[in-house]
Amino acid sequence: MPLYGTLDITEAPARLPTLAHLDTEAWTLPKAEMMQLLIEVPRSSTDGLLPKAMHPALPSYVILAITRYSDSPVGPFNLAMLRLGSRAGAHPRGFLLGAVASTDAAAKELRTRWGLPVEGGEVKFLRRHDRVMGTVKKNGRTILDCALVNPQPVAGTDVQYINWVTAANAPLDGTTQPMLIQVDPKYTFYKAERGTPLVSAFDAAAWNAASIELAEPIVGTCCTVDTDLPRIRFVMDPLKPVFQGTRRIRESRADE
Amino acid sequence: MKFGLFYEISIPRPWTPEKERTVYNNCLEQVKLADELGFDHVWAVEHHFLEEYSHCSAPELFLTACAMVTKRIQVGHGIVVCVPEFNHPIKIAEKTATLDILSGGRLHVGTGRSATWTELGGFRANPDITKKSWDEFVRCLPKMWMQETFSYQGEFWSMPERTILPKPYQKPHPPMWVAVTSPGTEIDAADRGLGSLGLSFAGFEEQEKKIKEYRRRIKSCEPVGAFVNEQVATTNFLYCHEDEKTGVEMGKRLGNTFNYLATQLISTREVFSSPSYQSLGLLPALRRAATGPDANEQQTEGMAYGDPARIIRAVKKWESLGVDCINFILNANEVVPQDQVMASLRLFAKEVMPVFAKKPGAQAAE
Repeated sequence: MPLYGTLDITEAPARLPTLAHLDTEAWTLPKAEMMQLLIEVPRSSTDGLLPKAMHPALPSYVILAITRYSDSPVGPFNLAMLRLGSRAGAHPRGFLLGAVASTDAAAKELRTRWGLPVEGGEVKFLRRHDRVMGTVKKNGRTILDCALVNPQPVAGTDVQYINWVTAANAPLDGTTQPMLIQVDPKYTFYKAERGTPLVSAFDAAAWNAASIELAEPIVGTCCTVDTDLPRIRFVMDPLKPVFQGTRRIRESRADE
Repeated sequence: MKFGLFYEISIPRPWTPEKERTVYNNCLEQVKLADELGFDHVWAVEHHFLEEYSHCSAPELFLTACAMVTKRIQVGHGIVVCVPEFNHPIKIAEKTATLDILSGGRLHVGTGRSATWTELGGFRANPDITKKSWDEFVRCLPKMWMQETFSYQGEFWSMPERTILPKPYQKPHPPMWVAVTSPGTEIDAADRGLGSLGLSFAGFEEQEKKIKEYRRRIKSCEPVGAFVNEQVATTNFLYCHEDEKTGVEMGKRLGNTFNYLATQLISTREVFSSPSYQSLGLLPALRRAATGPDANEQQTEGMAYGDPARIIRAVKKWESLGVDCINFILNANEVVPQDQVMASLRLFAKEVMPVFAKKPGAQAAE
């Protein structure tokens, strides 16, 4: 049967974000600009990064995402994320390895409401006609410098964003414990562009992915979307295959 | 109704040389038996890099072996990937003609364009242009087979005048098909006079719509070849057992394993935003069905597993929708032991095939 991840997130729960409860209220995030760069990475460089419950994507790839949220309950902020392409059972997912938010308030709320492994830092999102650029600094040091080169218009229907999975501690059945949480934003597209990914600086260790080596660019997109961070619907046992260890804690939204 | 076998050649880890050889030999043994039992076709896919799901990257070799150990069963490329980075069109014309000769005119040529990033990315093919290159290839192939000399200047490939040899055994040329997974490809098939080689496991309602549209459009087609190949084939799982419960349980296990492996593939749309891959092909239906490799969920309707009576009901339903041929997947990751696959084939041939071999009038008279 398919390969599984090897990471046991229960071995170091102190490293994970902790949620006070799983009743997180949704955020509406209108007119967000999202740049995503998909890049293949050697399979061996992802060893130990994916939880035991999940299957690796074959070939292995990562998603570098930089988003400008122009409006949110904590004000405007930019967010950069590194996700590892993977499968939760039969479904494609991006497992969050690391994230940086441009405001401390956003970092705190994203950690404690959805369990995203976000730290504070400097995240820039710059749009030019020939490229869209993103830079991320942590403690004054550049940990990502990337661009979507030569963006060309495509239809929003051409773009597929896959849902995220994050590892966090959260209370369930009376105990706060490590678990996997699915975060599944929805998107309404206003504008979509596609181009070539270019990464000129990437400090893998700063993204909690020291062994990752960027190899083959797949494609990049930049889209303007209405999106959200929804209420948490699914949590997963980190040690059981997802098809055995998934628990629905809330019904789907009316529009799903 | 015609019946065929459909091979992905799925091989579980660990991939020892003996295991790969055993699975290939199992498949050949099944094909030999199917030939003796009166099955009409054996199809083999062309897939690359799809771990466990399909180790059938050189189907022309497997199909040649099939042809060599059988007498009458027809052999089908299901499909040849018509993307220049995968296969040069000259080589496709030459290899298919050779296989047609070696098989004594038993070849069917299915065409397609690949649906996964795993494969397209592996060959560094551009997903944006695969529909277009497929279109060029299928228009060239019949001419390459039939014309004494051929030259071509196209968008995706070209060649100066040469004589492409050998020519196929069948005249004017082997029947041509296209793999139909994405919505709308049945229209591509109909407009070009190609057979519709359905590779999805969609339910009755969706298939009925596709078949009706195919039959309507093909009436006014401009065939790419010398003749119209109006045929609709669909894919199914087969596990036939005297006891319905045993048959259903093993059939579900087969289906779940296949579906779960299939859903691990990286569909092109998932990672490469392209107008050429608007749909996820067969994956949405499989993901709905595949909750896990050992799941016991309700699977897509019309599956050919259970006892003969149950399978006859399913096949009759497909027949009533206008399906001409059902191609069966017999195994996935070797979850069905070889002796049980062989017993299933024998029972199906004994109890089910005769029902559909009769003339419609004779059936009605019973």
